[in-house]
Amino acid sequence: MPELEEQLTFLAAAIEWPPTPNLSGRQLHLPARVEVAPEVRGRRRPLWQTRWALAAAAVLVIVATLLAFTPTREAIAGWLNLHVTINRVQNLPTPSPLPSAPLGRRLGLGDPTTLAAAQSHLGWKIQVPASLGAPDEVYLMPPPPTGPSGGEVTLVYSKRPDIPVSGLTGVSLLVTEARGMINENYFQKTLGPDVDIEQVTVGGHTGYWISGHPHNFVFTDADGNPHNDTLRLATNTLLFDDNGTLVRIEGELTKDQAIKIATSIG
Amino acid sequence: MEGRPADDSVLIARAQRGDSAAYEEIVQRYQQVAFRTAYVITGSSPDAEDAAQEGFVKAYRALYRFRLGSDLRPWLLRIVANEARNRVRSSGRRHQLELRLAEGFRPGDAAPSPEAVAVAADERRRLLAMVNALSEGDRLVIASRYFLELSGEETATALGIPEGTVKSRLSRALARLRTRVEEAASA
Repeated sequence: MPELEEQLTFLAAAIEWPPTPNLSGRQLHLPARVEVAPEVRGRRRPLWQTRWALAAAAVLVIVATLLAFTPTREAIAGWLNLHVTINRVQNLPTPSPLPSAPLGRRLGLGDPTTLAAAQSHLGWKIQVPASLGAPDEVYLMPPPPTGPSGGEVTLVYSKRPDIPVSGLTGVSLLVTEARGMINENYFQKTLGPDVDIEQVTVGGHTGYWISGHPHNFVFTDADGNPHNDTLRLATNTLLFDDNGTLVRIEGELTKDQAIKIATSIG
Repeated sequence: MEGRPADDSVLIARAQRGDSAAYEEIVQRYQQVAFRTAYVITGSSPDAEDAAQEGFVKAYRALYRFRLGSDLRPWLLRIVANEARNRVRSSGRRHQLELRLAEGFRPGDAAPSPEAVAVAADERRRLLAMVNALSEGDRLVIASRYFLELSGEETATALGIPEGTVKSRLSRALARLRTRVEEAASA
């Protein structure tokens, strides 16, 4: 070891650190229990523990408090039909800035690919919004063990007229699609009190328009570890179920723009 | 196995089932490195305590997503370091990290003369003063690698930079420190 590095190593033992506070016990104020989504709880090996699960992912958690507020019970049933649940909280944690990396890694979208190649890996048809033209980039989260059951594909639209580039994602639009299956969970949304949820109809399918203040979206790092503490804020989102395919259109667009895009899917 | 500390994986599995006592054992195991990591980032003992505390609470909430079999320490440090950086960012201020030598420090494996002890202590003081006088980036990477004894991956996590950047930044920081040491020696 070079002399300087050796001196620094020896110096470490002589450093006087501030006394470490005792963080365990009552000082820590732990929540009453680990916050586990009901659908996840009880699994021996939850989907979350697979390699990148959260990015594809997600569960929406309906908490009891939501029952007391909008949307109505009927709307919540609609959420359940989408196999999604929602967690509404009073305070959103501060998001960390996005790491500098290519878009796919930065947002945990999976591997870059083409539409044709992605389609060849999936047992269901990718729905492409005709009104947006061909996507600029395509990312694929393959099925297990790497990704969620059925896989997930994300179409990236860098710039589109009348839809500003989001400062949160760096692109105009993200269209994410996953195959929904009963008892499996795909999307986790943590909504602050100032986020609006509105039930909408998209080509005869029930959908939800989530708008207002940006909301949390959990994603994983390049190693596949979920980042609970590294959150990006998702912008306005239209979420709907197209015959078993869960579609999420996200960007700084209006509800009308989102529905127009959604109805052009085919 | 009575008296032997439980493996992290055992404690995690218990904590994931809601056993807060198991999690408190995890906290006790890692609170020192977590607090010191936060201290290196914030430069403030109260801020480091808040960041470590909040980080451990967030980690508890997220524990069900922890992948069993993974290394717990970098995962915890990532959360605590993010919390520390968030605090620095939101407060708009970063305290100057000022590392000090412990009074009366004696290397444990020798019985040197009082003169040798005094000389060695003086050398350590001068070296630490030079580390403290480095730029913030240089100081942070050296403190993380040598004083906190974090791995390259953990240093990258703590500083929020890629691991490759840690290597290059550390190399440059050591070069600048070496220059100062040599200049002081020839003065």
